[in-house]
Amino acid sequence: MSNLNLSGKDILKFLLTHYEFVQLVFNYSKPDFIIDSDKFHNLVNGYNTSSESKISLSKITTEFKFCRQLPTGEYKLNGNYTTFLEFIFDDFILDLPETLKNRYQAIFNHFTNLQTETNINRIILLIQEIIKVVEKFLNDIEGQTVRLLRDTESLKVNAENHSDFTIRIQKANYWIDEYIIPLNAILNKDHPNSVVNAIIQIQHYTSEKRILADTYELKREFEKLYACAVNAKTELDKTLSKLTRELLPLLERIKSDSIILSGFYHFIENIDQPENYIITLPILLRRTKGNAMSKTFSSEAEFYVDQFNYHTPEILYEEETEEIEWLPDASYFKEQLLKEREVSNFYQWCFDSLKEHTDNITLSKFFTVSNLILEEDIIAEYKEETRFEIQLSDAILRMPKVKIYEKLSE
Amino acid sequence: MRNYPNDHKEIVSNLLEGRFIIYPNPMFATIQIQEDEYKEFFKESYGFELNIDSEFAYLSSNEVSEKRTRDFTLFLAMLCRELDYSGKNFRDSIELGTFDIDETEQLLRQSSRWEILEKTTVANFEGFIDAWNKKNVLKRTGNQFKFTKAVKLFFEFAVNVANAKLKEQQSL
Repeated sequence: MSNLNLSGKDILKFLLTHYEFVQLVFNYSKPDFIIDSDKFHNLVNGYNTSSESKISLSKITTEFKFCRQLPTGEYKLNGNYTTFLEFIFDDFILDLPETLKNRYQAIFNHFTNLQTETNINRIILLIQEIIKVVEKFLNDIEGQTVRLLRDTESLKVNAENHSDFTIRIQKANYWIDEYIIPLNAILNKDHPNSVVNAIIQIQHYTSEKRILADTYELKREFEKLYACAVNAKTELDKTLSKLTRELLPLLERIKSDSIILSGFYHFIENIDQPENYIITLPILLRRTKGNAMSKTFSSEAEFYVDQFNYHTPEILYEEETEEIEWLPDASYFKEQLLKEREVSNFYQWCFDSLKEHTDNITLSKFFTVSNLILEEDIIAEYKEETRFEIQLSDAILRMPKVKIYEKLSE
Repeated sequence: MRNYPNDHKEIVSNLLEGRFIIYPNPMFATIQIQEDEYKEFFKESYGFELNIDSEFAYLSSNEVSEKRTRDFTLFLAMLCRELDYSGKNFRDSIELGTFDIDETEQLLRQSSRWEILEKTTVANFEGFIDAWNKKNVLKRTGNQFKFTKAVKLFFEFAVNVANAKLKEQQSL
């Protein structure tokens, strides 16, 4: 290198001695490898005060050509260094898939030329060029995949607050749309313009040529290109499977998980204002009407009714004393009940309403009114386990609190 | 008179009890095969909607709704959040994991949002677990419980809320 007065060893020594500094600058200047002038000077000064080995600004810009100052004042890292540093630090900057696409376009062009070229020397040059571009492309795509995988892993880290969910969803969407789907198109063999397709064509072409080419030298060169294509095909298949079978499902999963958490977040935060979480809750069925009364109540009721039945035969012997009991008019009480629209304690209401008409509330009177609970256009809701007592003239009932309201007409 | 499936009575009583019928229960297959008939049956006989998802079936009604669904959704939402905070993958835990009743109650009680759950049926935690065990949304075994596939219905609800919110934010 004519404009570099240093040997390769000097450069490696520089990188080794100032490894921490180089890494620091590398990290600060990512992803475009441009760093603000003040920040850069601070890094140099900070490094010089804390480290035994010192660096001078002029040396790293003019001699090592590690970076150069742009007309705007910022420093830009030398591309030769950054490529190597990306490799050393195993930290690749994502290229847009379009960039990769341009690169593999070169493979296409060279291959088209190769098929029509007759000059042996030109053929050899084209073969070497294709091998070079393919290798470079493989390196790039592998770096990109590693990077995507690592970034995706970092997305999996649990979120601290709600804005993190939104960021996770946005990032996952961005990566899927901007990287994975386009990369997939580049690598998918079903796509006629994909790189994998070009590689397959090269493989087919060279597998014949390595045997049928005119000279031994050409056969050897085609053999190399064939090996390169076979290897590239395997590598790209691996990458594709990483992208579509690991990365894409993982990102989709992160996305959908974050959406669930985000939905629950809104739900919890707006729990007292249901209108704010917009969507209605799943509508499940409560156990149906027949169970508005608990099993205990039903057996207790049966017990009372049984007692009632038991007395009936006795009455036969006491015909004179039988008196026709006044029974309340159920339709009148139903009208009253419907006027209420909603009654929070139905049995208490029965008792109170009867009380307005008579002081002698017997079981039969009470039941005539409380039977309204079975009416079809009335909905009963039973929630609490607690019971309260109702004192009738001939019995004490322990009743549950039952809420009643009118069924809305359809 | 038409022929009813052998498990017809069991299917009807389970669904009317507010239970989920979940794959691979053979009753689920019966419902799936006679989807149209059963939908019509519940609509005509009771006015209820029969919902058949890919893995579970349940009844819903606009007139006799289960008010405690809100409590369950809250419980699930808080549990997912706590699991996420503690660094676990909440979805794997909910869909595949087993929960200890006492430990889960402790986890929820220490949450900053316990004050909300405290006022709901979740406060009586064991009773709450039993109630949802009856509905087949949870499966209780001794001191432990698991979520059944019915939990997906509540995840769907969360997704719908989030999407509605996103739409709302976009239109602002």
